[in-house]
Formats: sequence, C-alpha cells, structure tokens
Amino acid sequence: MATNTVKPDLTSGFDLNQVLACPGCDLLLEKLTLAPGEKLICPRCGETLHTPKKDSINHSLVLALTGLLLFPYAIFMPIMTLDTMGIKNTGTIFDGVISTWNSGYIFVALILALTSIIFPLIKFMLLFCISLNLKLNRTPYYLISFMRTYIHLDEWGMLEVFMIGILVTIIKMHHMANIHYNVGFFCFVALMMVALGSSLMLDKEEFWFAIEQGES
Amino acid sequence: MPALSAAATARDANLALCHDCHKLVALPQTGNSHNLCPRCGAGLHFRKPASLNRTWALVITALTLTFPANILPIMNVNFLGGSDASTIMDGIIYFFQEGSYGIGLVILTASILVPCFKIVGLILILLSIHFRWKSWLRHKALLFRIIEFIGRWSMLDIFVISLLQVLVNFTNISSISADSAAPYFVGVVLSTMFAAITFDPRLLWDA
Repeated sequence: MATNTVKPDLTSGFDLNQVLACPGCDLLLEKLTLAPGEKLICPRCGETLHTPKKDSINHSLVLALTGLLLFPYAIFMPIMTLDTMGIKNTGTIFDGVISTWNSGYIFVALILALTSIIFPLIKFMLLFCISLNLKLNRTPYYLISFMRTYIHLDEWGMLEVFMIGILVTIIKMHHMANIHYNVGFFCFVALMMVALGSSLMLDKEEFWFAIEQGES
Repeated sequence: MPALSAAATARDANLALCHDCHKLVALPQTGNSHNLCPRCGAGLHFRKPASLNRTWALVITALTLTFPANILPIMNVNFLGGSDASTIMDGIIYFFQEGSYGIGLVILTASILVPCFKIVGLILILLSIHFRWKSWLRHKALLFRIIEFIGRWSMLDIFVISLLQVLVNFTNISSISADSAAPYFVGVVLSTMFAAITFDPRLLWDA
C-alpha cells in the first residue's frame, strides 16, 4: 500500500515521529502503522519503505541459532563425491577456498572465503547476539555497532549464489561422472534456506526501534 | 498525482536520513560540522558524500577490468596431459553446442549479461544526472534497484570454478584450475557492487 504525501509546514515545525523520508528519493511521507504482511511503498519512486514482520525478534533468534548449528557441517563436511571410472573425489566448500589459494589466486581465494564462509558466519553470530539481547530486553553498549556491522555485511554473504553455483556444477558434471551427495550437501541447502529466511524475517525498523527504546 | 510536484523532500525540511539506521534527524543546512546520528552514531549527510565522483570512478574501474576478464582464459582444463584454457565465452559456447541451453543461459546471464547490464545501467543513470534528463525518473529508480539487487549474482562463475577445481582433480587423468581472468572477473563484481553502494539514488530526483 502507498502512503499519502505530507507537506510539512517548515515554519511552524512538525512532529519528527510522524514522518519518514524515502531513502530512494528523499520524499517526506506520513508514517503509517502497518500490519505484518503489508508493504509501505514510496508513491514517487516505488522504493519499499517498510515491510513489518511478524514476531521478528523471535524468528531471527531461532533462525540465527539454527544457522550457527548447521554452519560447521555445511562448510567442512563433504558436499558431494564425483566418481569417474572408479576414481573418487570428494570436496567441501572449504576445500574450494584452499585449492584456489594453492593455485596462486590469493585475491580470488580471499573473496571466496569472505563471501561464502566468513561473512555468512559473522552475520549469523551478530544476528544471534542482537536478537538474544533484544529478546531479554537488554541493550549492552556493543549492540549498536553490532547492528550497524550487520547492515553493512548484509549483501556480502552470498550463500544463495553459492547454492546456484553447486547446482550449476552438478548439471555440468552429471554427464561425465556419477555424483553422490554427501551430508554437507543437505546441510548446505538447509543453511542457505536459513540464511534466506533470516534476511526475510528481519525487521530492521523494529530492531532499531527496540535498541533505541532500550538505550533511553 | 498532483500532490507530487508540491511534495517536499527531507532536505527541504532540514532533515537528514541516517544512512545506516534510517532515522530522520534535524540538521542545519549550513556549516560543515561533523554530525553523528543520535541513534546509531553513523555520520549524517543530506546526500552520500562525493557520491557521483566515487560511483564514476568505480564504474570506470569495472569497465576497464571487463576487458581482461573476458579476453583472458578463466578456466584451465587438463585432460590426459593436454591443457585447454577457455574464456567465459568459450564455456558458454561449449554448453550451447552440447545442447545444454538452460545452463548455457544461466552462465551467460550471470557472467556476461549481468555485469554489462550493471555497467551500462549505472553509466546511463550517472549521465542522466549530469545532463539533467528529467524524464523516466521512476524507471531509472527501478533500474537502480535492479542493479543493486543483481550485484552479487555475478559471483556465480567463480563459485562454480572453485568447486570444479576440487571435484575434478583426478591427478593424472584430468583436472580443472582457475586461470588468469579470475581475479579481474572478481574485480568487476566487486567494483560494480561498491559502485551501487556509493551511488545515492536521491540525486536522480534532485537534478
């Protein structure tokens, strides 16, 4: 649903809590209270302003914990085994980083490690810590910097892209070899879904509001 | 929508939107004092600082890196002692010749069409700000949101190569390894992603 545009009277001032600005075009808009499932869209540029989520703190906490539990299995357990003429080869996500490093492409290996292992892990840890603290109604001093770090790292965790990469690899290889799926494959699929779910369930506005309330 | 022409922006009302937490904060229009967001502590600006310069620089970087990324071989396939280096385009042509059109299209989209779309789209948006082309603003805003969204998907080919490198490693028979185009390709992805981060879409509406 679209909001109405407001034309604030710049001389007499207005209540800052009643307005919001579109990050896409800077239009000042009236702040409306939405129910979960509704979507606030800027009438001028079409940017999504707010999508409230049901029970965002609880869902984020559960998904972050699940992600942390799945993480070591998805990264360090074999994804699949390739079998050509009786010779077998098994690989993990972590092996991909190591072999790229060993072939001399250190920069590529570093970006691989960051986007497929380190950033997703840090994101789960931050989300777990933030939502646990908010759940317990606590706002320790580090919560703000954790939340800002999470926002900046958001698009740099690329588990979904890696998932498509695994599918492409399977389609590429299934003519040439027998593919056996190992534990790591199923853990990675689950991890990717949890990561996707956690970004869908996170209501940043609600998190910031809760942090602000706790600070004051 | 008659109300739109008369609508005020946050900057008209001396309000700055925090880049990190989206809080609206009253800020004096003049003076270059360093203001911090009272909620999250991020630096406050009406618009992202030096947005156009930074975005131009990153787009030109991406454009420059596109050439080595596509001309040099990205993957090296060794089979029974013979070695065969292939560029991104070679890989796609191979899939089309094999009849795997679906996967060929996925790789074509992620590795060639998406990076080109990002670079051309950003240049179009930047030029339209410079020359104050006021038409199609809503579409340009949508174009930018698409560029922001698809940014990370170009990493696909790098992930595939890293997996193939591990899985296809039958010492003397066949093996696959990354080749010299890989770092340039990663460079294109990174610089276009950073270009989307440094660009401030509000500039489209200011011009």
